[in-house]
Amino acid sequence: MAKRGLRSLRHIRRAGAGILAAIMAAATLSACGGGSGDGKVTLTFWTHTHPPMIKLNQTLITEYERLHPNVKIEYQQIPNDEFDTKMLTAMSNGSGPDLLNLDDTTLRGEYLPKRLLAPIDYGALGVASEDALKARYLPGTLDGASADNELYGLPSEFNATAFAINTKHFADAGLDPNAPPKTWQDVASASRKLAAAGHTQAFSFLYLSAGWYTQQLQTLLNETGGTITDANHEKATVTAPPAEAALKIWTDLATGAGRTADPNKTSREATSPFSDLATGRQSMAMVYPWAMEQIRESNPDTFAQLKLVPLPQVNPAKPVNRWYGYYWGVSRASKNQQQAWQFIAYLASQSQRWLSDVKFIQPVKGWDTSAAGKQVPGLDVWSAAYQQGKFDEVAPHFAEIKDAMMTMVNDAVFDHVALPEASRKASDQIDRSLGS
Amino acid sequence: MTVLSIRPQAPDSPAPRRAKPARRRRNAVAMMLAVPAMGLFLVFAIYPMLRVFYLSLFDYSLTAPPEFIGFRNFTYLATDPQFGAALWQTVVYAVGTYVPALTLALVLAHALNTRAPGSGLLRLLYFLPVAISWVAVSVIWRVVLNPDGLLNQALGLHLNWLTSSSSAMWGLVVMGVWKETGFFLILFLAGLQSIPPELHEASRLDGAGAFARFRYITWPMLLPVTAVCSVMAVIRGFQAFSPQLVLTDGGFGTQVVNLFVYKTAFENARMGRASAVAVLMFLLLFGLTLLQLKVFARRDR
Repeated sequence: MAKRGLRSLRHIRRAGAGILAAIMAAATLSACGGGSGDGKVTLTFWTHTHPPMIKLNQTLITEYERLHPNVKIEYQQIPNDEFDTKMLTAMSNGSGPDLLNLDDTTLRGEYLPKRLLAPIDYGALGVASEDALKARYLPGTLDGASADNELYGLPSEFNATAFAINTKHFADAGLDPNAPPKTWQDVASASRKLAAAGHTQAFSFLYLSAGWYTQQLQTLLNETGGTITDANHEKATVTAPPAEAALKIWTDLATGAGRTADPNKTSREATSPFSDLATGRQSMAMVYPWAMEQIRESNPDTFAQLKLVPLPQVNPAKPVNRWYGYYWGVSRASKNQQQAWQFIAYLASQSQRWLSDVKFIQPVKGWDTSAAGKQVPGLDVWSAAYQQGKFDEVAPHFAEIKDAMMTMVNDAVFDHVALPEASRKASDQIDRSLGS
Repeated sequence: MTVLSIRPQAPDSPAPRRAKPARRRRNAVAMMLAVPAMGLFLVFAIYPMLRVFYLSLFDYSLTAPPEFIGFRNFTYLATDPQFGAALWQTVVYAVGTYVPALTLALVLAHALNTRAPGSGLLRLLYFLPVAISWVAVSVIWRVVLNPDGLLNQALGLHLNWLTSSSSAMWGLVVMGVWKETGFFLILFLAGLQSIPPELHEASRLDGAGAFARFRYITWPMLLPVTAVCSVMAVIRGFQAFSPQLVLTDGGFGTQVVNLFVYKTAFENARMGRASAVAVLMFLLLFGLTLLQLKVFARRDR
């Protein structure tokens, strides 16, 4: 009896060792990357969520897999408000994707300084050199994914900022939609007339997240000549007069004499940022090309009432705009970098479909004179905006700086803290961040 | 039927010879059976805790190898106004939420400690918010705390509950009291029902009034439950996170310590500094719990 027990114990131990060996062998095989014994390559691809973009990505993936039967692409979308956190955490522990799609401030602020991305593989993209690649794009537009004179990504979408006005609201208020506001003071005066006609949420900034606060403030900073930090990113400059002028424009429109809406009644729903404009509550808004497409899909009736006009300016004689882009890049940790760049080459080669299907403008030369480009509503406004733009400033620990910007605006707009006090507090916070 | 195999023995008679090895064998088997659970506990609870202590001594940005910096994270936090504010906001939230919640729970438990028709349904209704997740509750209360929302309508106010530093924390506190009272209500009810009814009967016959009965019978008998509730209240208060994240994202004076840790670690990629905060919070909570247990133990005597 005891002997039989011992034998069965030995048997169990042997079986256990066998199972363990099998598990370890499987783990070792899977750790070898996306390759498998039959020569197939699996690429993982992560993006944020934007329904028209997801749809086209899925179509392009199906096409690419049909053209390249040895490649399988696993496509995953991450909710926008979780994207940065999940991506950074995944990249830090080696579980990140082969291919990713990130905005230029995140790339320049976090991923490129930390060397998380692989430089462009020109051979895999099918171009002879960096100069040959740059020759395909409008000047400066690849700089959003550039560090130390090296390129790390290709633009999937490239955005400038314009202004959308609701022509029906304008007509209700006796305003001429063909003579839209040119300055922020014009926005304030139009708002008074719109409010008198019952449109009390005439214009509002979007109070969604630190990133949204900062990009809108950066738009104003570009116009006033202000900055967040000095050129070497050693000290905050938000207390300097040009930066305070930008904050003053914001607070005047939100709470001052030129009040254009009640910021407490603005939608703070980050999953549909432009819902106030799209549902017809708001009369004017700062917009981007992708936003107009989202409104067209979700609220076609309101979209029909919207007119795209140039962004109001501090100095209309010298208009200034703001650029931001999303770029396809390849993780430095990817074991299939060449195949990943080949797939990016395919995505980037479809710029006409990105234009027609998603209204993502890729800054390839001649996009505005192409067949699909000519169909983009407000083409002349976007074209002009692209001529006047520049990328946002980034600095080390930029996530902390964005938090400081958000707190500064909240202090001034919602808690009515005096501007010098609000900007001094933000300046202290930024200085602490830069110095630690 | 339970059979007890322990034979009564004379106090100085030696233990049976075979009893010790048998007990030892039983203990060994018990230990072996406990090994998997202990292993899991060590791997998933103790190791991460020790790792947090270790990481608090490093500058670690998640994507680069950690760099040893000694106690610099702690000295930074000692002078960081944001951390000081987070700590203060946590205390305000914990005290503001859990003192009323405990008081209300005790009062309601008294009222519901009857066999009157409908009391079961009322208990269920009070417990319902406990069963709903914090995120779902937060989404519901976003509507309630809206400038045109139910709370302003009910109170005839025009407060911007979630977009003002003077009211955002109190909006969260009101929501917290609504959500948490039911949890303590159930604990107090269980405590009340464990008090023998004869004690109250006897004191009533002796002419004791309601307050005297509460002061000299109910309260002392409830002391162990109150101790548990108060320890849990402190821990729950200091673990606040979800409503602050969902409703205000830590803005307008609502950045509690756990949200500060999350943002420092995962949004700002300062893992070492976040670990240092976690260590400080562990020490603070550990100290507070010991203090509470000591206070209640003394009273219990």
